[in-house]
Amino acid sequence: MGDDKFDIELRALMRAAQGGDGAAYADLLRRSLPFVARVVRAQRAYGVEIDDIVQDVLLSLHAVRHTYDPDRPFSPWLAAIARNRVIDAQRKRGRIARNEESVAELPETFLPDHPNTRAPDEAEALRHAVADLPPGQRQAVEMLKLRELSLKEAAAASGMSIAALKVAVHRGVKALRLRLSSSDEINGGVP
Amino acid sequence: MSRLPTEDLIARIAASAEPVQRLRPPLPRTLLWFALSLPWVAAVVLIMGVRPDIGERLHDTRWLIEQGAILMTAAMSAMAAFCAGIPGRPRSELLIPLVPLVVWMALLGEGCVRSWLSVGGLTLQADWMCLPAIAMIGFGPAAVAAAMIVRGAPLAPVATTALGALAAGGFAAFGLRLFHLQDASLMVLVWQAGTVFGLVLLAGLGGPFLLRWKRPDQAPR
Repeated sequence: MGDDKFDIELRALMRAAQGGDGAAYADLLRRSLPFVARVVRAQRAYGVEIDDIVQDVLLSLHAVRHTYDPDRPFSPWLAAIARNRVIDAQRKRGRIARNEESVAELPETFLPDHPNTRAPDEAEALRHAVADLPPGQRQAVEMLKLRELSLKEAAAASGMSIAALKVAVHRGVKALRLRLSSSDEINGGVP
Repeated sequence: MSRLPTEDLIARIAASAEPVQRLRPPLPRTLLWFALSLPWVAAVVLIMGVRPDIGERLHDTRWLIEQGAILMTAAMSAMAAFCAGIPGRPRSELLIPLVPLVVWMALLGEGCVRSWLSVGGLTLQADWMCLPAIAMIGFGPAAVAAAMIVRGAPLAPVATTALGALAAGGFAAFGLRLFHLQDASLMVLVWQAGTVFGLVLLAGLGGPFLLRWKRPDQAPR
């Protein structure tokens, strides 16, 4: 009975959202979150972030919201999208896993002075240097250099334009280079 | 370092909530597909010239049942393809065209067996014109089906495009038999149905490239 009430309410909200009512749409999406998360978990989405899939489901719902018929129940419509996105995410994860190779020990060269791996303190220094960047530059460096998102993806996630991202990442990298090279000189480290 | 907070994403999505035109149910969409495709098929048939023995064929019950089965296969495939694009509908709807398809194949199979028993063998000749003819007649229905299919959700891309191709190919095979003087079951099975199934296979393989979910960067700003 509770499920019926939930469905009837969401059905009405979706009808309003299809008519362009932004407030009803936001309400619908918020109230759908626990249901979507439940469906995603029920699909045993191992190896993928639940939150990532939930967001994918919201975007997918938005992309195909015109396919919903308000005369039909809302929950099966939403659940079908969620299940489909979980399967897609698992396939993607599988493709990535097939191209990855696990090694017990990372191959390293141990030359006396210049090993090809970064020392822990250098990684720490890099983390600090990134954290000290101005917010715009930090976000651009994190998205484009550390998470390796495409410019389009980073623009979508940050709300910044592609041109602004390019400028911010250029300035950020320049600032990092300056800061790290000066700390290397101070420490007498590897050039 | 994490992606956009979900609450922000919801705000952005809701902010871009423009009114949308709802997709009509599969049956009216199938009728629309048929109505838009029919003039193309009719035009090609008229240009190629209706077969001279059409009067005779229209009194041939077996030929009429075969044509009916082909046309029903086309229409049911289109309807199944449209059902496939609506989340939450039963997957069993994708099997709707199987009934007329089995009838069509059974009639062709029975025709082959009957010819074999009466003549003592089956002859298969080259009939390459079926390939371009079916492609040409099917182009119109395929274009209309594609334009309508992409409006649905990409839940089952392979099945959806394969069904769309079966709809267009079936309609083309129906049209072909209105001007092409070839009724031998084996020839129809190999050249006409074979061409249709070849197109279905190709379309199915192309499905994942044609029907995709929008990428995150296509999210509302």
